[in-house]
Amino acid sequence: MSFKSIITQKEDQNIFLNRILFSSLLILLLASIIFIRLVFLQIYDSDQYKLRSLNNTIRTQSVPPSRGLIFDRNNNILAENRPVFQLEMIPEQVQHIEKTLDQLAELELINIKKIDALKEKIDSSYQFKAITLNTKLSEKQIAIFANNRNIFKGIDIKTRLTRYYPKGEIFSHALGYVGSISSNDYLRFDSAIYTGKEQIGKTSIERDYETSLHGYPGKEKLLVNVRGRVMDRLDTQPFEPGNNLILTLDTRLQEVAYDAMQGKKGAVVGIDPSNGEILIFISTPSYDPNKISQGMSNSEYAAFQNNKNKPLFNRAIAGQYPPGSTIKPMLALGGLEMGYINPDNFIPCEGHYFLPNYSRPFNDWTTHGSVNTKRAIQASCDVYFYELAVKMGIENMSAFLSNFNLGKKTLIDIGSEKKGIIPNRAWKKNNFKSKQNQSWFKGETVIAGIGQGYMLATPLQLAMATVMIANRGSAFQPHLVRAIENIKTGELQYTPTEEINNLEHIKEEHWDIIHQGMIAVVNERRGTAYGIFQPNVPIAGKTGSSQVFSIDKSSNKEVPEELRDHGLFIGFAPLKTPKIALTVIIENGGGGRLAAAPVAEKIMQAILDSEKKNAL
Amino acid sequence: MPFKKQYDSLSSEDLFRKFHIDLPLLTAFLILFSISLIAIYSASNSDINAVIDQSIRIGISLAAMILIAQMSPLDYERIAPWLYSLCFILLGLVLILGETRNGATRWLNIGISFQPSELMKIGMPLMVARYIARESLPPSNTSIALAVMIVILPTYLIYLEPDLGTSVLVAFSGLIVIFLSGIKKRYLVIAFSLFITSLPLIWPMINEFQRKRVLTFLNPEKDPLGAGYHIIQSKIAIGSGGLFGKGWLNGSQGQLDFLPERTTDFIFSILAEEFGLVGVVIIICIYLFIVGRGILIAINSQDLFSRLIAASISLTFFIYVFVNISMTIGLLPVVGVPLPLISRGGTSMVTLMILLGMLMSVGTHKRLVTK
Repeated sequence: MSFKSIITQKEDQNIFLNRILFSSLLILLLASIIFIRLVFLQIYDSDQYKLRSLNNTIRTQSVPPSRGLIFDRNNNILAENRPVFQLEMIPEQVQHIEKTLDQLAELELINIKKIDALKEKIDSSYQFKAITLNTKLSEKQIAIFANNRNIFKGIDIKTRLTRYYPKGEIFSHALGYVGSISSNDYLRFDSAIYTGKEQIGKTSIERDYETSLHGYPGKEKLLVNVRGRVMDRLDTQPFEPGNNLILTLDTRLQEVAYDAMQGKKGAVVGIDPSNGEILIFISTPSYDPNKISQGMSNSEYAAFQNNKNKPLFNRAIAGQYPPGSTIKPMLALGGLEMGYINPDNFIPCEGHYFLPNYSRPFNDWTTHGSVNTKRAIQASCDVYFYELAVKMGIENMSAFLSNFNLGKKTLIDIGSEKKGIIPNRAWKKNNFKSKQNQSWFKGETVIAGIGQGYMLATPLQLAMATVMIANRGSAFQPHLVRAIENIKTGELQYTPTEEINNLEHIKEEHWDIIHQGMIAVVNERRGTAYGIFQPNVPIAGKTGSSQVFSIDKSSNKEVPEELRDHGLFIGFAPLKTPKIALTVIIENGGGGRLAAAPVAEKIMQAILDSEKKNAL
Repeated sequence: MPFKKQYDSLSSEDLFRKFHIDLPLLTAFLILFSISLIAIYSASNSDINAVIDQSIRIGISLAAMILIAQMSPLDYERIAPWLYSLCFILLGLVLILGETRNGATRWLNIGISFQPSELMKIGMPLMVARYIARESLPPSNTSIALAVMIVILPTYLIYLEPDLGTSVLVAFSGLIVIFLSGIKKRYLVIAFSLFITSLPLIWPMINEFQRKRVLTFLNPEKDPLGAGYHIIQSKIAIGSGGLFGKGWLNGSQGQLDFLPERTTDFIFSILAEEFGLVGVVIIICIYLFIVGRGILIAINSQDLFSRLIAASISLTFFIYVFVNISMTIGLLPVVGVPLPLISRGGTSMVTLMILLGMLMSVGTHKRLVTK
């Protein structure tokens, strides 16, 4: 170390002090820069940063409303919301996800086949968001989980509301079902009032009254951390539950009808003639709406859709059948009104009808002998109506049948309704491509006389036509929802019913004649439904069999089921003040008398029995 | 009562003086340590273990400081070349044998794992001060050239690890000594202009990661969820704190985890969010007090070596504070410098307290001036 003189030391110190002073000024300058910057951040721009800090931490979440309930006309519950127990996992709280899933599968809490799908789902979701591992835990599973809860951190049982239909299959085609929201659903409804978590109506009433049933979501202000996990609930605005629906359907009659339809394919529609309220609405085979609403796997749903009996197909409004002989009372009324037939004239029926220039005869199903209008209806004489049809001509027939709302939608309050076909020349021209097929043949007029050929009607249309027969002309728009109950005010908003009457000009005595014919169908010897019903019941009806395929009836060969005739029955009861106008259609049931009339008998009898009880 | 007075002074000031402790500095340190514990409790989401860990580190650091303060500046001067050489060798070894974490090779494992670059923060100012102090001021051109070499070589080794932040700080602690020694202003101007003009040449040599940091700093909103996230969230925390803050444990940015690395690099943001402008200005004043006290010690010390190290330590200390705070308020890129005495962390705190122990030593050891 070198020694320095005092002078150099002094000099050293001066230089050093000089530099220290400079440094100190620099320090103050830098400190001031920091200070100014802090003032800008914390005072000048503070409001902006406060807002950004709030935006960071406060999330508004919508809470799905509870869906409105559905009741039948007697306040029996048909659709409600039930808590189901789900197994949920929050991935960020689980240490070994794979191992945990294996353990859960071992205890049969999750399906071992779904593990891979679950893993994929976990990998692609937010780690803080609950993932459903099992949508429906049984009570046994809940108990098993409770016993092993301590080894499953981050896994818990959550309750969610799911739609539940206590009557299951019986009401499924009327009520429809719900499911989780798909992108298509957002096109139908205002996405602003859906949270994405609720179930949405997919078919029938659930779909078409979605707006009433849904309600309005509530809002929750949540304090969340950076991973989006909810730390606290700051503010809650409760949801507005959906409105309840009160239906026109009668559970007891539905049950009777469904029972009678067990094992059959077809539909039953029963309407109260006094107001258009649909009391019975059945389409079989049916399905369990609970299964679909709780979520089915794709393969299960595909199996449903590919089932050859088409359980998802709503036959009551979308099934179109040749009305067959059920059209006869209506045509007879037209014939009487237009003067083509005289009710007192008897004409001979030898079992077949010949059209000039046609080599082949038009066959009757049996030989009726001598028949007048009433008898022709009673015994369902084809020859009588072949002749009438040829006299009336197809244009008159179609014009008159249109008065019964056939060939038009009934405008029932649920969608996917079909309108059927009442053929005429114009219809054929519009619906066939080749010139050759566009022209109308006389033979087609003949078979239209017995409701065959191109003529098609839905069970609902036939039921509505039956209402007009029962009411001697008037009918009301058929509907399934009687009233919407406003959940806030308790007020009932009834579905308006419009009276339709295209048949005011029909003479009373003409109505009498066809009514007599229909009563005779049920109550007199040679009536096509005679013996099916109890003797002397106040019921009027008409059977029908529509050909699926033209078969030589004389051969005794067994006819394969899918080629058997459809059986139909229309009718109303009691006679004085009809309480019900009913249509029963059994696909491939083998004729109206054998297939449809017994079903109608059970239903009608149930109604008459309760009428009797009420009278006592 | 002269006796009483003597007794009094013996009991307080003289007792500290005897153990070479500067009372004002110690008081300032203890205040900052208390703030550290309060801030860490909040930043760790009320984890008492984090506070206990930090208390232990504070205890160890204080012990190291007191121990170092017992040595005289003469001792530092003596060991300076050895310490510097040792650090230099270790830095070389790091590049060959070091542990790699997160893509950076900074650690050397000899039973315990540590960063030799931290040790160089001590070795560097001592070595440069000793080299400069061997002749009178201002130093000759050759001395300056050699001193610059002493600074540049280890700096480059640290930069290679890579550790841009530490290499800049280590270089600074050496260069400040050269600056204080009275290097001619024209050299400073030349050095500065050289630095500026060489920037375009240096830029491509800096690795991708570092470049991204700098670019992010220039425009954090460009990538708000990626590289710019730290800066944006830190500014939101500080800005939303306002004048008086949101209150202890009430800062949403911190409590709800929006602010990353908030017990270490961004602890200042926590303080600013919860205690507001008023709180952080008080803290900055305490830092300035420490720096001022250090400068005073430098001015009052009677030999050149002591003066240089005291000043270098004080100014480096300030630079740590400045770089950390500037980084949290978006004035400088995020370089990973902790807030002195407050941020959670072991090695860096011990290193810093050793340096501050030296400052105390300079302030309390009066050397006889050779005539």
